[in-house]
Amino acid sequence: MNGIEQETVEGRTLIRLSGEVDLSWSQQVRDAVLGALARSRRVGVVLSEVSYIDSSGIAALVEGFQSARTNGSGFALVAVSDAVRAVLELARLDRVFPIVADVDGIPEVTGAPAWKP
Amino acid sequence: MSSGLARQQSTSGASEARALAFLADLSETLAVSLDLRQTLGEAVNRIADFMDAEAASLFLLDDDGNMLECRVCVGPIDISGLRIPLGQGVVGRAVAENRSQFVSDALSDKRVDRSNDSDTGFVTRSLLCAPLATAKGPIGALEVVNKRSGGSFSADDAEILRLVAAPTSLAINNARMANELVQQARMRREFDLARRMQKSLLPKRRRGGFPLLGMNLPAHEISGDFYDYFDLPDGRIGFFIGDVSGKGLDAALLMVRTASLLRWVGKEGIAPSEWLVRVNEELCQTSLEGRFVCALVGRCDRNAQEVEIAAAGFPPAMRYRRGEFTEYLSGGAPLGILAGMSFDGQTIDLRDASLYCFSDGMTDVRDAQRRTIGSEGVREMIRRHAGASAEPRLRGMFSELRHLRLVDDTTLLLIERMQAHGPEVLLKRRFPARPENMREIRSLLRSALDNAGVETAIRDKLVLAVDEACCNVIRHAYGPGHSGDIDLRVTSEAGKLEFRLLDSAPAVDPDCVRAKPLGECRSGGLGVALIEAVMDDWNLQGLPDGKGNRLIMRKRIGDNGTSGEDQE
Repeated sequence: MNGIEQETVEGRTLIRLSGEVDLSWSQQVRDAVLGALARSRRVGVVLSEVSYIDSSGIAALVEGFQSARTNGSGFALVAVSDAVRAVLELARLDRVFPIVADVDGIPEVTGAPAWKP
Repeated sequence: MSSGLARQQSTSGASEARALAFLADLSETLAVSLDLRQTLGEAVNRIADFMDAEAASLFLLDDDGNMLECRVCVGPIDISGLRIPLGQGVVGRAVAENRSQFVSDALSDKRVDRSNDSDTGFVTRSLLCAPLATAKGPIGALEVVNKRSGGSFSADDAEILRLVAAPTSLAINNARMANELVQQARMRREFDLARRMQKSLLPKRRRGGFPLLGMNLPAHEISGDFYDYFDLPDGRIGFFIGDVSGKGLDAALLMVRTASLLRWVGKEGIAPSEWLVRVNEELCQTSLEGRFVCALVGRCDRNAQEVEIAAAGFPPAMRYRRGEFTEYLSGGAPLGILAGMSFDGQTIDLRDASLYCFSDGMTDVRDAQRRTIGSEGVREMIRRHAGASAEPRLRGMFSELRHLRLVDDTTLLLIERMQAHGPEVLLKRRFPARPENMREIRSLLRSALDNAGVETAIRDKLVLAVDEACCNVIRHAYGPGHSGDIDLRVTSEAGKLEFRLLDSAPAVDPDCVRAKPLGECRSGGLGVALIEAVMDDWNLQGLPDGKGNRLIMRKRIGDNGTSGEDQE
């Protein structure tokens, strides 16, 4: 089922999403991502358990990414499922987002806009 | 080594060596052969020669285990085929007691049944008999009669016969097992042939607006279910569906007989109730050995406006009309039980409706909790797939059944007015334009596209595009200020899918709906861009009088996407 879980370990905040991310709750996803970025300077969104994502879900991730860039925080999509990857590829955003295999790959805090596509 | 041979060792080492060589030789011959008749004949001959016996014979226990029959014999009198009850005579005793019998003076020994001698003139003087046994118990006996040199058999002879019995038993056992394997392989081949023949008896799917469509899903290799339809002299269509009690080959044979009988009688175009009476009389004239047949027969016009049915022990037929179900219970008892039965006919108005006739395998399907889905489960399934055209609908239902636990053969016959040509409806659904409904719509879309044979990767993209289109209607056409429904219809024609969305929202200016360039990292306008990336083309139009909008999206998926086998 759909769900958002958050945990903070060693200064990294992880947001684990599961289920089908669609218009019915993508606003909650957006709030969770932006909220985490306000509290933590290194955020990863774990997408391994996401079986579907629509453009409103992608939009929430885009906003998180933009917010991190503005503040020089570390941000990445972690363990992206095939279903999510297919949509990112279709939207040609697979080369825009930092996508990493595990939590260790989340970019460091730079204090300034550092990661550029 | 045996005590007899050991005793002889001191006096006759050469004789023992000869005996061992004979045993080794015989064992080898028996071990490599699977042709029992030839090998045993040869073996018994050699045993007689080696033991210097006038006659030798081999008896095997029959399948019931009560009688011994002479299968191989050598000597002046041919006793092959001679049957001896277990426990009688020397041979019967050897097997019953599983112990060698040694008779040195047959003339005075009570164990010897000499009736055969008096018939043939042969005089039995002395004999030896050793039982043949496997791990499962006795299977027969080996017997040698009269020393050619006169005198009686020795204790050593008895020992040798006992030793010879072991490889002989093994050889018989091996040959029997090999034979069983051959039989099994032959049975499998024949079952396979029977299954194919049964399948070939089911009628071919007829197109061009033919109002009947059947599907059959056997739970085992061979099905006891059947259905058929054919043209009647008056232009109507006769049909039947049935289920033979029991499973396996005999049920299948009865199914073949009943199906041809039903067809033969039904071809005349008589009323369904009379049709069943005649078939029942015919079936009752011969014994079905406790088996019986449940069947539903009927006839309808080519536009399926009205259908007449009669049933014998068959589950109620279900009529579905715009969300409402009506069940037509069968009054009659199953066929083949009692002659002289009568059956009630029913006439059903089928305008704007569909009639589902199904064997009890359909309601006996088990869900994940191993509960039968029952008639309510079937209703739900029909409701879930109601939006689709006949063929994708039945395919959808059967693909659902395949994911459940099938305990019996399942057969479904659908009768409804069908479009002669034009697009096939894969999905039709009207739902309130709210985000929380989209999950179910996506799931329905996935199944509908699966049933149409759309490849998974393309299916997922199409689902995304339709979802995006619906979300745009929800967010932008209705917006926060309005509410209403979305009418979604997915059709397929000649390898082309068409997705049509109707809404009753205020008219949207088509020029305002534009795709933003993909790959641009902005959160807005992605939906239309995705639709454009997935679909071949799309078109948005306002409906007349500013009452709503119509979006049509098309995608070519190739001709093989929607075609398939006629039977499941």
